[in-house]
Amino acid sequence: MTSLPLEGIRVLDLTQVYAGPACTRILAELGAEVIKVEGPLRLDITRILIFTDNEGLDMPHERACYFSVRNAGKKSITLELNHPKGVEMARGLIAQSDVLAEAFSPRVMKNFGLDYESVRQVKPDIIMLSMSGYGQEGPYADYGAYGMGLEPASGISEITGYRGGPPIRSGLSFTDPVTAFLGAGAVLMALRHRQRTGQGQYIDLSEHEGAIPLIAAHLMDYVMNGRIAGRLGNRSPWAAPQGCYRCRGDDRWLVISIQDDEEWSAFCRAVDHPEWEEDERFADVLGRHEHHDELDELIEEWTREQDHLEAFHLLQRAGVKAGPVFDGKDILLDPHFKERHHFDIVEHPLLGRRPINRQLVANFDRFEASVPGPAPLFGQHNKEVFQGLLGLSDEELAELEQENVIGPGPITEIPPELWSEFLKLPFEQFLEMGALRAIEPDYKQQLGLED
Amino acid sequence: MPEGALSDIRVIDLSRGIAGPYCTKLLADYGAEVIKVEPPGEGDPARRLGPFPNDLPHSERSGLFLHLNTNKKSVTLDVSTTSGAVILKRLLARADVLVESHPVGQMAEWGLGYDDLKGDFPNLVYVSITPFGQTGPYREYQANSLVAMAMSAVMYATGDPDKEPLTTGGTPADYLAGEQCWLGVLAALIHRDREGQGQHVDVSMAEAAASVDEYNAAMYAFGGAIRRRYYSHHVYSYPMDILPCKDGYVVVIAGAGGFPSLATVGTASPMALLLENLELDQHPLFSSMGDRMVRWQEVDEILRPYLESHTAREIVETAQALRMPFAYVPTVADLLADEHLKARGFFVEAEHPEAGNLTYPGPPFRMSETPFRVGRAPLLGEHNEETLVGELGYEKEDLTILRDRDII
Repeated sequence: MTSLPLEGIRVLDLTQVYAGPACTRILAELGAEVIKVEGPLRLDITRILIFTDNEGLDMPHERACYFSVRNAGKKSITLELNHPKGVEMARGLIAQSDVLAEAFSPRVMKNFGLDYESVRQVKPDIIMLSMSGYGQEGPYADYGAYGMGLEPASGISEITGYRGGPPIRSGLSFTDPVTAFLGAGAVLMALRHRQRTGQGQYIDLSEHEGAIPLIAAHLMDYVMNGRIAGRLGNRSPWAAPQGCYRCRGDDRWLVISIQDDEEWSAFCRAVDHPEWEEDERFADVLGRHEHHDELDELIEEWTREQDHLEAFHLLQRAGVKAGPVFDGKDILLDPHFKERHHFDIVEHPLLGRRPINRQLVANFDRFEASVPGPAPLFGQHNKEVFQGLLGLSDEELAELEQENVIGPGPITEIPPELWSEFLKLPFEQFLEMGALRAIEPDYKQQLGLED
Repeated sequence: MPEGALSDIRVIDLSRGIAGPYCTKLLADYGAEVIKVEPPGEGDPARRLGPFPNDLPHSERSGLFLHLNTNKKSVTLDVSTTSGAVILKRLLARADVLVESHPVGQMAEWGLGYDDLKGDFPNLVYVSITPFGQTGPYREYQANSLVAMAMSAVMYATGDPDKEPLTTGGTPADYLAGEQCWLGVLAALIHRDREGQGQHVDVSMAEAAASVDEYNAAMYAFGGAIRRRYYSHHVYSYPMDILPCKDGYVVVIAGAGGFPSLATVGTASPMALLLENLELDQHPLFSSMGDRMVRWQEVDEILRPYLESHTAREIVETAQALRMPFAYVPTVADLLADEHLKARGFFVEAEHPEAGNLTYPGPPFRMSETPFRVGRAPLLGEHNEETLVGELGYEKEDLTILRDRDII
């Protein structure tokens, strides 16, 4: 194993929430030093999402799962960019950074005096990545944008949904990770270009646009045929039968996808229903598309009696594409994901050992791009960064803290009960509504995290 | 004309379908020379996937293929034959990257596995993209996007609570795998720039799909909660939903400041202003996020009259002016006509000899110094002569022999 490809690369990271932090986490997994900047009075909002893990506990903002996952392996500094001294310090840090990442609305960096033109004065070969909802220019440029609005805005939700039903959003902000991947790749390309030519550059990444290529087949159908395809549920024009079928047990499901005659024949034999293969309705590909509803009924009669994992292995071994529908717990316990180190166990000073999924999943022969460490505490690296890079003395730091230019602000003074009272989610009611499957207090034991 | 970011890189692309070709499209669109090696005769199976103009299948007119293979060259070569493998190796001698998507073990069977090639090509970045990766108990299992989404922990949390889990529309896992593969290529190239060595990069589509899991696994790992699907709702706020309006659907997101809070004391909340009913600020549901999430049907009833009597455009424009991040739910037709995307010049046109002039999605991001290239997909074997004769120095007569034996 040799050194990581981005060792020695410094990223100043002004991003918050999901897309930006996931992007810079990829750079951290590749060895970059990522310095996350939060305002002393304005912390990353994901620090104060109250889930069961930080409810009512001391320093809840250091325990939030969402924050802990997105920011694993970064350094944290606090810096008030609405204060001239804060901007001056940011400039000092930019001068010693290779990459500046930000995900504010387009006008914000300009207001700080940290737009690309200004930043270049400080560091001519800086690579600046701006991730925004709708890009830096254009009629929607100033629109507020949340990840959950951008998936629909990119056209993905319009093609997601049950047949005959309304458009549905994915169970997460789908465009955020897409933006993260694209942003990280753009930075990697820009770093290579800088290495070759000495030239930095500016990258305008619109979350909205970045996700549109994912629905290209639908776009091209409209371009070519003027057709707007309807929502297909789990079906596909490229396979039939294809669907998600109920299995034995509580809310257990298996997806199955059968493309051609060979797979159909293999399927019928594997599930011990040779008579389906004889059935004229299903004899060829077109028949299986036409009689999809009847097939779904027959298949589900079989799957209902099956354990979803056993059926998964049975079908895959017979050469049929199938997969169990994993919930958030299943994937953590799955032997395949485990063997491939999809989750790294990371030790956090307050949270202990926790599995965190890799953001970059490519496996490399010559280096291990794993989750590089726990998420930082709020302002944990102030002293290290401000003294190490800006050469500030203890007295200067104390003064800056007094002025709220740096420092933890009033956040640690809020009693945890108060945090929770305002921000607690009604988990018991979520269970009742069916928005949660379970809350398992012994989860650490089940995950083998207890020491 | 500025050079592309990857103008010094040559890629030999044996991948097929969507995931691998999307990876090499990202490389090609940003300047790499990508030589797509297709099986003689039918070529990349994606050439057989629709949509086709007027629904008439034609190997040069697949909308999907045309999109996925812009800016690439096409060479036909049967790499499973000894003679084909010889030509492939001559191509590799002049290449930086090999991308392949064959089943695990297939390349090795042809004598073209990474271990077979690394001695001769120590600088080669060799990238394999497969359903479950090169290792692990499921490595020989098959998957498509649906299977990968099922196992990602995302699908379980997508859909209605009383129905089956639902995949995200299209074939998203293919594209996610392509993007992860692209990251793998770039990271390995930077490593090679520094250390002077190539390597094998192993990408799994199932893991690529799982890498987008925002917090379904994390909610269990950090608190033992197992999240289920629950319409289009978000886990920490309501309304964050796709709701019907006068002319279709609209994304309703109150955002951090939409409802009454300490910040809005003494003024009307943006949500009350939007709904043109300031008394709503006194409504108990307006003051409790937890209650809104649990009693969301009542929230919908409050919203319904306004939404049903206004168009998506009216709603989004008014809400955005009130600083609430509402959004559209466009169809593909809406996207192509969208004024913002037009003003940004997002969609691009390219002329193709068989498919004509078509509109394609443009740059997924814009680089100031090394811009995205607009181009078209190659015809099957279009670059045989240029590559084999021009680059590798074969005689034109050799091509006749190779074609006769179905090698090219």
